[in-house]
Parts: sequence; C-alpha cells; structure tokens
Amino acid sequence: MFLQEVARACPGFDPATKDPEFLWLSPYRCTEPQPESTTPRGWNSAPGTWPGCASIGGGGSNFGSSRPNGKGLPVKESSRGQDKPENLFSRQPKSKSEITDMVRSSTITVSDKAHILSMQKFGLRDTIVKSHLVQKEEDYTYIQNFRFFVGTYNVNGQSPKECLRPWLSCDIQAPDVYCVGFQELDLSKEAFFFHDTPREEEWFKAVTQGLHSDAKYAKVKLIRLVGIMLLLYVKQEHAAYISEVEAETVGTGIMGRMGNKGGVAIRFQFHNTSICIVNSHLAAHTEEYERRNQDYKDICSRMQFCQVDPSLPPLTISRHDVILWLGDLNYRIEELDVEKVKKLIEEKAFETLYAYDQLKIQVAAKTIFEGFTEGELTFQPTYKYDTGSDNWDTSEKCRAPAWCDRILWKGNNINQLSYQSHMALKTSDHKPVSSVFDIGVKVINEELYRKTLEEIVRSLDKMENANIPSVSLSKREFCFQNVKYMQLQVESFKIHNGQVPCQFEFINKPDEKSYCKQWLNANPSRGFLLPDSDIEIELELFVNKTTATKLNSGEDKIEDILVLHLDRGKDYFLSVSGNYLPSCFGSPIHTLCYMREPILDLPPEVISELTLMPIKTEDDGSRLESPMEIPKELWMMVDYLYQNAVQQEDLFQQPGLRVEFEQIRDCLDTGMIDNLCILQTFSHSVAEALLLFLESLPEPVICNSAYYNCLECSGNYTASKQVISTLPTFHKNVFNYLMAFLQELLKNSAKNHLDENILASIFGSLLLRNPAGNQKHEMTEKKKAQEFIHQFLCNPL
Amino acid sequence: MATAPYNYSYIFKYIIIGDMGVGKSCLLHQFTEKKFMADCPHTIGVEFGTRIIEVSGQKIKLQIWDTAGQERFRAVTRSYYRGAAGALMVYDITRRSTYNHLSSWLTDARNLTNPNTVIILIGNKADLEAQRDVTYEEAKQFAEENGGFMLKVNIKMGENVEDAFLEAAKKIYQNIQDGSLDLNAAESGVQHKPSAPQGGRLTSEPQPQREGCGC
Repeated sequence: MFLQEVARACPGFDPATKDPEFLWLSPYRCTEPQPESTTPRGWNSAPGTWPGCASIGGGGSNFGSSRPNGKGLPVKESSRGQDKPENLFSRQPKSKSEITDMVRSSTITVSDKAHILSMQKFGLRDTIVKSHLVQKEEDYTYIQNFRFFVGTYNVNGQSPKECLRPWLSCDIQAPDVYCVGFQELDLSKEAFFFHDTPREEEWFKAVTQGLHSDAKYAKVKLIRLVGIMLLLYVKQEHAAYISEVEAETVGTGIMGRMGNKGGVAIRFQFHNTSICIVNSHLAAHTEEYERRNQDYKDICSRMQFCQVDPSLPPLTISRHDVILWLGDLNYRIEELDVEKVKKLIEEKAFETLYAYDQLKIQVAAKTIFEGFTEGELTFQPTYKYDTGSDNWDTSEKCRAPAWCDRILWKGNNINQLSYQSHMALKTSDHKPVSSVFDIGVKVINEELYRKTLEEIVRSLDKMENANIPSVSLSKREFCFQNVKYMQLQVESFKIHNGQVPCQFEFINKPDEKSYCKQWLNANPSRGFLLPDSDIEIELELFVNKTTATKLNSGEDKIEDILVLHLDRGKDYFLSVSGNYLPSCFGSPIHTLCYMREPILDLPPEVISELTLMPIKTEDDGSRLESPMEIPKELWMMVDYLYQNAVQQEDLFQQPGLRVEFEQIRDCLDTGMIDNLCILQTFSHSVAEALLLFLESLPEPVICNSAYYNCLECSGNYTASKQVISTLPTFHKNVFNYLMAFLQELLKNSAKNHLDENILASIFGSLLLRNPAGNQKHEMTEKKKAQEFIHQFLCNPL
Repeated sequence: MATAPYNYSYIFKYIIIGDMGVGKSCLLHQFTEKKFMADCPHTIGVEFGTRIIEVSGQKIKLQIWDTAGQERFRAVTRSYYRGAAGALMVYDITRRSTYNHLSSWLTDARNLTNPNTVIILIGNKADLEAQRDVTYEEAKQFAEENGGFMLKVNIKMGENVEDAFLEAAKKIYQNIQDGSLDLNAAESGVQHKPSAPQGGRLTSEPQPQREGCGC
C-alpha cells in the first residue's frame, strides 16, 4: 500500500528499486566475498604432486578444448562482478567422461611424457627405463659363447632300450645347454586321450643318464604334448642366469587342434639373450607337404608365451634373439622313386638328393622358415629303418627314405659345429639327429650395467626437472604510490611461459582467506598457458569503505606478497608496496570531529590515534582541543548543497561524475573548500559524495547497537526520538543535522520534486545498516528503516 | 636381464633454507643437474627439483624445495616447511652474518617440521677458503650444542653436494627402518609407494602430506 502510494506520487520511482544506483561506481563497489571464487587452490598443494590429470583444477590439461587462436586462456574471474559464469574453473565435480577425456588428452600430448613419468600409476618410468636399457644393451653387455647341444629323436612309441650317450654325449666337450626333443613318445590311445604316459618319465631318466658325464646339469623345464616332448638342461653353474622360463604347446593334429601333431616350445632368458626352443612334429605323408607348411604356420602364430609383466602383449616365437627349431618335420624326398633314392644314398650323393628335399624346396620358396638356416646334410636320411637295425624299411608300405628329423636356427652369433645322425641307436624306425652350436650370448658387465642404468635414470630425472612448469615474469615488484580512496590504480605485468604447458593461479597464503589483501585484485587470477605464450595480468588496487579505515589507522598498509603458483611447478612471490593517502571517507564520525585540520595536513600518528580512539557517548573533555560538533567535511558537503542545490531536480537520484567525485574527495581531504565552491556545476556529484561518505562510515550514523531498537520503534515517533537521544553525541549531532537539512530540501519539493518517501528510502539504508551485514531480511528491515527515517522528515524535530 | 623395478618406492621431501645468497639454488641445481651454476639469480619464490637416488638398494625420489632466503618472504616461505623429511640449512662460510642467523632458521625448522625431520648444516662456498669468516670448529660446535644434527658438510664447488643429500636420505631411511619415523603420520615427509601391481589398475599417486586449505 505504502509503496503503491510512493509509486503514484513519484513518477519514475519504481518501488522495486531498493537503492539509488550509481552505475559508474558499481564496478568498484565491494561486494561480499564470494567464497567459491575467492578461495584458490590449496596453498600447500604441492607442485611436486602431479595428482593425475583428473584432479588438475579443471580443464587445464584438456588440450582438446583450448581454442586454436588462444595463446593463453585467461579465465576472467569476476570476484567483484555479479556476472560469474560457471566457467571452466568452477569446482564442480566432473563427469566421468570429462575425466577420461583429460586423461586421454594428456597421454597423447608429447610434452606430457615427463609429467606422466612422475606418476607412478602409469608405470611409465619402468617402461622407459626398460626400453632405454634395451637400446643401450651394447654399452653394458659383451658376447660370450656357450655350447648348445640340440637333439631330436622320433622314438616310434618305444621305451628307451639302449644308452643314449652315443647321441647325447657325442661331443668331447660337455655342452652348456641341452635341448632334447622327442616325437611319438607314446602312440597309445591312453596317451592321446588322457595326456598321461609312463614314457615321459622313462625317457626323461634315459636322457638324464645320457648327459655328458663331465658336467653336472640342472633340468630347467620339461614340456610335453601327447608324444612331443622337449627337455631343457643347463650346466648347474648357469642356472642362476636363466630366467623368465615359459613353456607352451600347440596342437595341429586331428581337427587341426589335437596333440598327435603339433609343437612344444620353451622360451627363456639366458643372461641378456632371449632364446626360444621349438620341437615340432608336423603332418606325415609325402604328398602332405602343404599340411606341414600349415602346421608350421599354426605353431608360429598360436605359440604365445606370457610375459612377466602381464600388461605387455604375449611373446611370440619370432620375438627372440635366438630360435632353435628341431623335430620330426616330416618333409620327404619327392619326384624320385624309392630305388633311385636308395642308390643316391649308397653313392653318398647327398647333395643331389637334397635338391629333391621338400623342406629345402619349401624354404627356398619362402613359404616356411623364413630367416632360418640349416646346416649341410652330410648324413643319410634318418627315416625309415626296420626297428633294431640299420636296414631301410622292408614293410609292406616300403617307405622311401627321407630326412624327416631336422634342426634349424635363427639369430646372430650362432655357429654350428656339427650336424649329424646317430646310426648306433636302433630303438626306433628313426635315427636320432644332433647338432652342436656355439651360441654367442649377451652377458652383462655388472659395472657397466649399473653405470648405464644410472645414466638412464639421471636422464629421466633431468627430463622430469626440465618439464617442471616454469615461467618468467616481466615484473615482480609493484609500487602503488599515493593511493586514494576509491581511485583505481592498475599495474600490469606479463607472464611468459616456458616450454611446458602450465596452469597458473594465485594461491592463498596460510591462514589467509584470499590470495591477496582485500584492496587488491589480480585479473585474471588464474589461467592456462600454452608453451611459449604470454599473458598480461593486471593488479588492480582499489580502496573502498571496507578497507579504508584500517589503512587510515595504519593497522593495514599497502603491502602484500602474492604467491603465483604453477600447477606441478614453481611458486613465484610478487611484492606489492605503496602508500595510502588517508581520507575522510572511511573515517569514523567522532574521529573527524576531533580533526580540526584537513586529514592530509595531519601527521600519520595523529590520524592513527584518532582513528583508533574509541567512540564515547559524551565528550569527557580529556582532549586538549575541543571537538567540532559534526565533521567539517559533512558540513562542507551539506552546506554546499544547501547553498547551491536545494531546488535541484532529481537530487540524490541522478548519478554524479567519477572525476568530480575525486575532486570533491581531494577538496575535503586537503581542506581546499574554496575549490569546492569554484566548481559550480556538479550538485549531483556532491550529493553523491555525501551518500558515499555516509556509506563509508565504519560505524553508521545510527550506531549498530541502536539498530534493532530503531526498527522496533519505527512508527512510534516519541520512542524513536528517545532512541536517537541515546546515540553518542557526535552521531546524534550528525543525525539531527542531516534531518534538518532534508526537511529543508522538502520545503522546496515543488522545485526539486523530492518527497519524504524518496528521501526516506535513500537515507534509510545509509543511516541504518544491518550490523551483521545480513542480507536475508533485507526487504522487511529496509522498509522499517525507511519508516523510521520517514517519521523524522514529516514531524518537527 | 635384471627384472628389478626401476621405479622408486619412497618419496622424501627436502627443504633448503638459509639466508639470501648463501647458494641454496646452486646446491639444488648441482644436485639435480650435476652442473655448477656460477651466476644464480636470487630465488623469489619456491623452486623445486627431483632426483632418484638409491639407499640400501631402495630407490628413493627426493623432492627438493628451494625457498627464497630474503627476510621479507620469511613469513610466506615458512608455509613450505610442513611435511619435510629433511631440511638442509645452509650458510656461507665467507659471511658471518649468514652463520649468525642460523639459530633463527633452526628455530623455524624445529617449529615447523616434525621431530624426526633430519636437519643438516651446510657450510657453503668452502672453495673460497681465503675469505673464510666462519671456522669449521665453531660451526661444528654450533651443531653439537644444538644437537640433532647428523652431520655438517663443507661444500666446495661441486664437491660433497651429493653427500649432503645422500647422508640425509640414509638417515631418514634408517629412521623408517627402525620405526622411529611413522610413515602414517601426516607430516612425516615420506611417502611409501609399495611396488604397484602392474597392469591397468589406476592407483593415484599419494600426494605429499601438506596442509590443504579447504578447497
């Protein structure tokens, strides 16, 4: 009802408007600190803590989202403004996809390699060290020859009946490593279906007994697939240098999977060389060479070994330094009839015969065993004999002789010393074959290894250090001179980023709520910098009513240290210094009453003392100089308005000019009152300065202690007057003086169009301020405050 | 081939403190880069470097914080002490004033770190023997009188730098081994990283225990 009346009585007055708005001031008004935006990242969030990309403040490492034009991507933080967009840096929980996005993008960024390096979770350091160690292998290893015995024997399902020494101990020198393969260990159905056979143990014993007697051997591994068995022994003293032993089998028999045909393999690391031994039994029958080729290919593709590190892909046969392939490969001699073959054998024309060997032909056609070598065949075919003799097969089938049993190799530093068959053994329809090699194995020189490893670790450390974000600052000391009340000063500097993308932010010092003093602001206060890019930061210094009083008293100084923190990087300290020119704005009423001279003519100690002086209800006469009844500055402004502007239309409602406010402030603070009078034109600016003055008072005209009393008795004029009478003298004086002045203005309402309601609404909230700064019951409290003032405007004082 | 993990299992945080110009940044640089920096600009802020070292077969990552020595930044640099496992307190043997201020640095180090923090006194610039202003003996006495020092190192250009960092690490590691340093304590300055199970599981690296500020 009341507001409607106002609206009717006063065109242009919108009841929804709470305060006169001085638009030019709004950027400088100090709004309540916004807890979210003014709380930077943890002071102690260590640069060295690479918390994983997902927790980097927000989007910083998300290259995908950075605009291509951007050098830096400053995020203007509007800690003062109201328009605070939910920007990149808001601290809301991120959706899962965002997090994964960031993780992904950071892993594909080259320069982030070092960053990831420092995060154990990626295990990258291990991987890099390992790959560097492989690259530099030659630096710390030397080649040492070891003697390998490789043997293959198709035993045709027989148990061992004779000593294997003639085969296994054919060399004078005891070999370092034994690789012994068998095929057709057991041809029974039980072995085929149940994978269990007494032959395994029998032949294992026979082999163990047949090993060279000059050395002691340790069995490293036994692997068997039905009748295909492979045994690996090393001399005992080498056992310590054997590691990463893995064995696997691949069946290629019935249905392409069963174990009647196929291969078994053992892989291991001997010193620093990786070795893979394969024993295979490929498809039979002369015309089936393509099946044999297929079996070979199947074994190659399906034979996969687990790695020590399960995150790595499984190893295949081909990924070894040394491959030794033995077995009953079953390749036959083609085109020639049995008699011709036997004749050539009798003539020892092995070379001629070899031309018809299917394995030779297939290898030459590069269909199988690419990169493998086989020694010259200087022995007669090892298949097929009548068991217990050296006679060629006399059975019905009368098989043509063939070099079924073969040994091939692949790798460097391999020297074949012998390749032969052993006719003395007659247990089977095959003869055993053996080959002795000297194989050059990479042996680690411990000292050089340590040195190389250290170098690698050091280089990674260096890389990590070089990738700590680092910037250069164009300026680190900022001096703001003669700072005045509500006069913005700006100093700017440039951040130039180094080679690592980085996120920067001013962070709080311990036990401080903000990254800098209240009168200062950095714009932007955080952002993201691409390598080699710049960003300009403005330090804006602005003293308002909230900060002025302590600067007047000397409790606060224009001094601060800002900490510019780089995420995962260094911290930089920026020093801010300067001096503040005290002003009547922000000074308490009683302080100003005791200042007979302009504030800027007083020594700082006096200002400080008077500002800190407690407010007293009555003057106790303890001071030498008697105080003035009201602040002279207030008088100057009111008197000016009284003299010049009582008839001014829209007084207190039209904004003043900023530059004029600064002149008025200077006039008041220096006492150049005449200047105020010379500048005739700006009544509106003086009116506004008056309002700002009232607003800047640390203790409002109606003291905080009387606030609620006033609200309670608004509507009861007598009681209201009673409350006013309890105010401290200077405050009471000021109140009465202002009311008298406002009543004077109302006398001219015909000209200035002011009425009680307008003035009550303007002055209500200035003279009566919620002590807690509480905004919640704003409207109801404001209404009561207006009503309170309203009484003093309509009734005689 | 050795299959030992090459990754570190501990992180130790060190701080380097002492007056302006005593050569704190040089020490850091020398240790991390093995290079002597002749002309090192004053540190106005906090820098850091890392290096992985080995103590008793354990790989340890040292995370070294180099702080500004200027008096006016003292209040700010104090906040970096927290959670340091080692503090290298440096003075310049050619400038007595830097030695005289040691007790105030020591007070800070004692008050702001945990009781197990290993403090090492370093007399830097021992290559300038001719200009020596503080004798080895009095520094030794200072160390003894104030107790708790493990060793005192005189550092010449590029020499003994390793020792200072390594000796501190050994001592810290020893404290862990004998149980006097509780790794679970928030401010031990040490993080233990048990060899992470390999393969895909993303375990975030624990952060050095530092005081958060509620955000």
